[in-house]
Amino acid sequence: MGAVRIIHLTKNFGELVAVNDMTLEIPEGTIFGLLGPNGAGKSTTTRLLSTLLKPTKGTAELAGHDVLREPVAVREKTGVLPEESNHTHYPSRSTYDNLVYFAKLYGVPEEEIEERVRTLLEFMELWQRKDDKAGELSTGNRQRLALCRALLHNPSILLLDEPTSALDPIAAKRVRELILNLASEYNQTVFINSHNLPEVQRMCDQIAIIDEGKVLLHGKMEELRSTLYSQQRYRILVHGDVNAAERIAKSQEFVKSSKTEIDSIVVEIENPVQNNVKLLKAMIDAGVNVVEFSEEEATLEDLYLKVIKGGAQ
Amino acid sequence: MNKSMVVAMWDIRNALTVKFVKYGIVLAAVFGPALVILTVVGMALVTTPTVFNEVIQLILPYMSSMLAIFAVIPTTMLAANALVGEREQNTLEPLLCTPLTDRELLWGKVLGSALPSLIILVSSVVIAEVVTNLFLAILGYPLILVPDLPGLFLLSTAVPLTIFAIVAVMILISGRVTRVYEAYQTTGAVVMTFIIPMILPLAGMDDSGIVDVGMIWFANVLTLVIAIILFAISWTLAITRFNRDRLISLV
Repeated sequence: MGAVRIIHLTKNFGELVAVNDMTLEIPEGTIFGLLGPNGAGKSTTTRLLSTLLKPTKGTAELAGHDVLREPVAVREKTGVLPEESNHTHYPSRSTYDNLVYFAKLYGVPEEEIEERVRTLLEFMELWQRKDDKAGELSTGNRQRLALCRALLHNPSILLLDEPTSALDPIAAKRVRELILNLASEYNQTVFINSHNLPEVQRMCDQIAIIDEGKVLLHGKMEELRSTLYSQQRYRILVHGDVNAAERIAKSQEFVKSSKTEIDSIVVEIENPVQNNVKLLKAMIDAGVNVVEFSEEEATLEDLYLKVIKGGAQ
Repeated sequence: MNKSMVVAMWDIRNALTVKFVKYGIVLAAVFGPALVILTVVGMALVTTPTVFNEVIQLILPYMSSMLAIFAVIPTTMLAANALVGEREQNTLEPLLCTPLTDRELLWGKVLGSALPSLIILVSSVVIAEVVTNLFLAILGYPLILVPDLPGLFLLSTAVPLTIFAIVAVMILISGRVTRVYEAYQTTGAVVMTFIIPMILPLAGMDDSGIVDVGMIWFANVLTLVIAIILFAISWTLAITRFNRDRLISLV
């Protein structure tokens, strides 16, 4: 059974359909990335899952608890990093006090609070700043503090809205490592809502791309690549006349598309096992100086742009 | 209830980090009993016992109203911080993500806003009664009730109801104002209810300056009726509006 099950989830705001009949299942221990353009319904989905909003239709289950029937149990099992979370602290209270307050509200046993807060602050390298007012911390440190808050009660599911958006590269790397560690060692399920495609590609086991509240694509990265790219793509690095290489590529009927870049062409080839050799031979026979012939993996950005621009197939 | 107390204590400590709230509460706690003590003891010092007995009847309605106003003022400050402050600081969303139920959150906000005022009210009455009579005894005057019986009636009924009504009014206006200071000013108007028991007894004063006790009671009962109406209407509306969907719409 999935740690997160979204079942025909729909949320309307008047005439606007923010989330449209969404159905998804995310297995336990998965790092899941929800992608989509601005206004696609990502934050509304996160708010529905964190029980901040009630669905218009459908429902969702987190850690076996229904968001409509057992909202308190859902909140006990989830840690949430809200949108623009670096602005969600009590600015006149200390870093330490902010966490102690939320630890009490999350029901962390009184005798464990101090140790839990200390461990998290040390991990996020904020222990030295424990007595500083939250409002006096840098943007990055406030974001780390928000992550500490989301982790206080050892939630089995983490809902993270743009988790590294305000962090410098080193802090962002540390947070990514933390997220990967949580999923692998503690079997925590992480639901990430992000615009940062390279980050999602690096971290997530599964992704879904949504637009206008609808899921356009959902699955593992490898599956999605093979779904969207039935032909494989190859990069041919050429020394000399790139245009001549492209003319030869285009003249082959098994080459479905080609694109010229500065010193290379990228081609999509049908049945590459048989046809790669044919293309290479044709180029060499025509006197093209081929330096390298390598497989080109579709990036998440390629997938994203193809889905958002072309719509789901 | 335990989590409600956590919220209440946090809200009180949080509000006390704001200077005007901290000093406002301290002044309200000190000014009320100080005014009563200084007025009554001062009068005893500058008048004869006969004059004192006549004038004190005119002054006592003011004393209870002053104590009422000073006890209610902290609620306006604390409720503004507890409800509108969460919105101003963007802390409402993480708070709503915790396992707090709507009821626990509501109780926390109510206790955090009302408890200090209730404590100030009780302590002000006790301090005013004890210290005033201590001085009167030293000066050789007979012991009196300060505030008097109608005053104690007002303070023990209308004031607590008004304190809770202010919290409800704050819940209602928290969706319309974005700044703590605006909210504080808006609910400050509710405090004006206690001008009635100060002014109305004057209408029953005869030519010799003697105040009709019946009119004092009438003014206090009228204030209580207004407080009951205010409490009932504000809480009927506030309870229907204090829910997660509405709170998250403020984020």
